[in-house]
Amino acid sequence: MAVGGGLSSREPMALIRSIIRNRVNGLTVVGSAHGIDIDLLCGANAVSASQESYVGFEQDFGMAQNYRRGCESGEIEIQDNCCYTLVQQLRASIQGLPFMPIQSVRGTDFEKNHPSYKTIQSPYSGEDILVVPPLTPDVAIIHAQYADLQGNLRIEGPPVVDLLFAQASRTVLATVEKIVTNEELKRLGGVNIPYFYVSYIAEAPMGAHPTACYPFYAYDREHTELYMSAAKEGSTAFKKKYLKDFVYECESHEEYLHRIGGEDTRVRLSSWKESTDAWMELYKEST
Amino acid sequence: MGKNCTLGELLIDQLARTVEDDTLVFHGFGSPLVQIALHVAKRVYTPNLVLVAGATYGVNPDPPFIAPTTNDWVHDRNSECHLSIGELFDLSASGRLGRMFLSGLQIDRWGNTNVTQLGRKTLKLKLPGGGGACNLSCNAKNITLWTAAHRSEPVKGKRRYRIVSQCDYVTGFGHKNADGITRRQLGYPGNGPQCLVTDLGVFDFDQDGHLQLNALYPHTTVDDVLENTEFEPRMKKEIKTVSLPSLEVLSIIRKLDPLRIHEKELLPGDRSLTLGEPKNAAIC
Repeated sequence: MAVGGGLSSREPMALIRSIIRNRVNGLTVVGSAHGIDIDLLCGANAVSASQESYVGFEQDFGMAQNYRRGCESGEIEIQDNCCYTLVQQLRASIQGLPFMPIQSVRGTDFEKNHPSYKTIQSPYSGEDILVVPPLTPDVAIIHAQYADLQGNLRIEGPPVVDLLFAQASRTVLATVEKIVTNEELKRLGGVNIPYFYVSYIAEAPMGAHPTACYPFYAYDREHTELYMSAAKEGSTAFKKKYLKDFVYECESHEEYLHRIGGEDTRVRLSSWKESTDAWMELYKEST
Repeated sequence: MGKNCTLGELLIDQLARTVEDDTLVFHGFGSPLVQIALHVAKRVYTPNLVLVAGATYGVNPDPPFIAPTTNDWVHDRNSECHLSIGELFDLSASGRLGRMFLSGLQIDRWGNTNVTQLGRKTLKLKLPGGGGACNLSCNAKNITLWTAAHRSEPVKGKRRYRIVSQCDYVTGFGHKNADGITRRQLGYPGNGPQCLVTDLGVFDFDQDGHLQLNALYPHTTVDDVLENTEFEPRMKKEIKTVSLPSLEVLSIIRKLDPLRIHEKELLPGDRSLTLGEPKNAAIC
């Protein structure tokens, strides 16, 4: 499963909560730089292998505790990848090629830990070059700002790896903040993922919470802090103090929105638009 | 704080001074010291820098402030244009990334970095991973290494060194790995790591590609470096003391980072450390 978005931005969180509620497990996750999305899946024991390039909370909250625990206990097989290797593997898949050369990785421990990477000789220069196999995710999950009823998607701001994921994956599930007409989508600036790549769409306002989905809402640092304090206490405490309240007991996305503070929270997180000071206020430490 | 320079501000200035003008540079994520250093470099030292922001891939952004997470629209404000993730890494793979900045929970004597795991044979601690560090370490023309946690206080009588003899896992390639394989042998372009900026001093790499102490700070000594390093680094003949950043640099940092996000990278005891008032230091 390829997960779109990156770090604290546009993670398909409503989809992830729904996947957990549906008791899906045994997932192999792939992606570039991730945080709460993968950590939440790990905390719910849904992941059996990780090919992520990064899973963490940067310098702000540090290590992803559920991910780390899962890797260290052996529950999650560590198959770490790097951003450009991932890009090249997706490109191989998108272009229907059996492999893709890459001018890096050799000499690092990624080479040793990935028997599927092979060194071949260039037929032109005779020099050694590493080749990596195509990567075709069974499913990609993406949260975008807009879609039309046909399933055309519009992502605003950095698309991270989402466009490549959509092109390479067998099934693409997308949630969006708002479904609009195709005319409106064009007025907003156009489509970046054409509908025929997209298998299913659903409207899920605040569907990336607690990560950001600008221009609708900023990153909810306050909620992330609450998440982290539960995750730091251990896997049982995390289930009791976070997963139960914000995932298992929320039978619908609406119930989740209610539990995170409803309209008040939406208004607070959309206040970034008012001024630089208001924006900064959202990121001040509570202590 | 006042006119007094802090350790974080000194590190930012030292990182900024490693950049060459008229080159394309990129900062990754989770590295506010480097992110701010590139804005300082562009405004003070190297105005023709092509600054590509980490996570957003915006070119020459002008953020109103620094946020606690890198992939935030605030860091993308006033970008002139954008690259895609593939495009940035393509530029690097073809030798057009002038300088990259890499860090690690372990950095070894040959400039290899580890952000993947502690424990060589058995996993002791799973680290978050390196993002694109592995690829960029092989491809970037020049590399600056940094860490704000060189100082390693003993815990129960045992130190966990940041600057180690040999990395448990090589995430980013330095000058050579534990098997003795060098960059040249692998055919990588570029010069590998040239300097390491830490909370204790500034290092470069000698002709063998080995770490060597180059300069100290007003508050640090050779003994601090020896005590906090797992091996004995080589020493430059003459070890200088760096000058403090200028008032102009300080004012840029403080305006850009009112939330003091960069201090999160420092050891807790170092966050309030001040180093005196700059004498409007000359730019070297």
